[in-house]
Amino acid sequence: MLSIETMRSWGADVDEALVRCLNNESFYLMLVQKAVQDANFDRLPEAVAAGDLDKAFEAAHALKGVTANLALTPILKPVQEITELLRARTETDYSPLLKEISEQREGLTALF
Amino acid sequence: MNNRNDMPDLQEKKRRRRILIVEDEFVNRELLKVYLEGEYELIIAETGAQAMAALRTQIDTLSLVLLDLNLPDMHGMDILREIKRDPELNRIPVIVLTGDTESEVESLNTGASDFISKPYPRHEVIMARVRRSIELSENRDLIRGTELDQLTGLYNREYFYRYAEQYDTFHRGEDTDALVVDISHFRLINERFGKACADEVLRRTGEALLAAMKESGGIVCRREADTFQVYCPHREDYEAFAEEIAAAAGEGLKGRVRIRVGVYSRVDKTLEMERRFDRAKSAADTIRNSFSASVAMYDDTLREKEVEEERLLDDFPEALAQKQFAVYFQPKFDIRQSKPVLCGAEALVRWKHPEKGMVSPGVFVPLFERNGLVRDLDNYVWREAAAQIRRWKDMLGHAVPVSVNVSRIDMLDPELTDTLRGLVEENGLDYGDLHLEITESAYTEDAKQIVSVVSGLRELGFRIEMDDFGSGYSSLNMISTLPIDALKLDMMFIRTAFSENGNTRMIEITLDISRALNVPMIAEGVETEEQMLALKKMGCDIVQGYYFSKPVPAEEFERFLI
Repeated sequence: MLSIETMRSWGADVDEALVRCLNNESFYLMLVQKAVQDANFDRLPEAVAAGDLDKAFEAAHALKGVTANLALTPILKPVQEITELLRARTETDYSPLLKEISEQREGLTALF
Repeated sequence: MNNRNDMPDLQEKKRRRRILIVEDEFVNRELLKVYLEGEYELIIAETGAQAMAALRTQIDTLSLVLLDLNLPDMHGMDILREIKRDPELNRIPVIVLTGDTESEVESLNTGASDFISKPYPRHEVIMARVRRSIELSENRDLIRGTELDQLTGLYNREYFYRYAEQYDTFHRGEDTDALVVDISHFRLINERFGKACADEVLRRTGEALLAAMKESGGIVCRREADTFQVYCPHREDYEAFAEEIAAAAGEGLKGRVRIRVGVYSRVDKTLEMERRFDRAKSAADTIRNSFSASVAMYDDTLREKEVEEERLLDDFPEALAQKQFAVYFQPKFDIRQSKPVLCGAEALVRWKHPEKGMVSPGVFVPLFERNGLVRDLDNYVWREAAAQIRRWKDMLGHAVPVSVNVSRIDMLDPELTDTLRGLVEENGLDYGDLHLEITESAYTEDAKQIVSVVSGLRELGFRIEMDDFGSGYSSLNMISTLPIDALKLDMMFIRTAFSENGNTRMIEITLDISRALNVPMIAEGVETEEQMLALKKMGCDIVQGYYFSKPVPAEEFERFLI
């Protein structure tokens, strides 16, 4: 059940996000639903798997912006980390971070 | 009874400024929309291609672009570069939407006016930044707007000098020429073909000059009316250039347009910018009455003239203090009776220079007018004239009215009325004793302001004589509304009318005008008895000229008073 309260218990910084949404709760919740469907959630692991770190960086960067704007903290944290690694085109094992992002995303989706 | 429901909505909707938002992420886009749609009309682009298309079609109506750097089909930076590179687009301010500090610096360096990073700051902050970027760019446009001459789109004079100075810093050690380009007989073009056509000629001249500068380098401005100034890399010969410009200016016009080009070659860069163009102008002036030459170079004889003028300017303050300027009087005679009767005099200034002897007013008056000294000179003449009227009044028991010249520049002096009033009161005169001669051409520029000053003076009791009538450009209906008490016919009329093939028709017409206005007509420059008698026959009221007397000092004038 997607609501302010469930968002809060999931770990989103609801207060911060609501300010950004001009305190319009339904607007905020609508945006959250759209955010979770962002195509970059799929593009990111695909790009990493293909070894295209440029594309991966772009996808991560885009996700970072959206999740930061909506203060989706549990997803934002790993996204921020992976973005910095990808910015430097670091050769490393990205699977733990990708897993984290995926799981947090599922957790949020489960609220709807 | 009218059905008012059918009437169109006459209240104009306040036009909202338009912003282009280029952002592919739904969430970010929606947030921006919700912040901005209250105050702005929004155009949305989700891809680089959409953004470019929107820019092309909305070029004239966009106030700002919010540009995300992360676009699916292009890099936002490339779009930013494209906008800043394009001469039409680069006036539009761009705020870059970036998620990281690295792109911030690069975008600012590429010409973004601001950036907004994610997570977004408070919406009030976003609004304020948007507003500020728009304001700054509109102010810049406004300044650019006033930098430019309305008609031709070229720089106007003041900004031109600043840009010329900048040009110097970018072209140190290079030879540069200063040109003054004048359209010959522009007034005739105006009269013969009309104002719209004359404006076209100016526009075409400006365009041709700009095109020439694009090729060679250099900058152009419109100085005033029919004069342009050019600052460009040195060239040995300007004949072909002059031909080109003249051809472009006169395109489509019956009859050629002739231009004069004055060149100050290889400018002395220690000289003030304005002075460089003064030299070019003095060169252009030497072609004034020639029918063949188009180009003249500033050279030594002109340099000598310049030195002379410098000297006269330097000598002015002392000359004024030492009363080297003498006021002479030329009598005016009423010729309507069987015998001419003295009815007044015109005060004229003469300069008895200690070394140079008599300096012609034809030389120093225009010089002082150009250099802002004429006000002091005229004030001096008025004071002397007023004092003289007083002396004659005491001598004779009645006043001999004296007219003094008031130039257009004097008209602009806010203290004019007080000064003149002061002179009348100090000398215990009647206002009607001091006549003010104002030339017709003074009325045609800044007409409203001049008319209001003159009306004020007239109300005090001054008599206003319109000088050089026929040399200005007043329309007939304007003349009928001007506050004047006499018309002074321009000397040229007399000269032409009594020349070999001339006729007196124009004088008769002017007499009709003066009768219609119910004011006396004064003919100036009358030299022979033949002229005087012809004028008398036509009904002219007053005559002034060498026939009766040249201008003389006050003591000599007294012989007319007995």
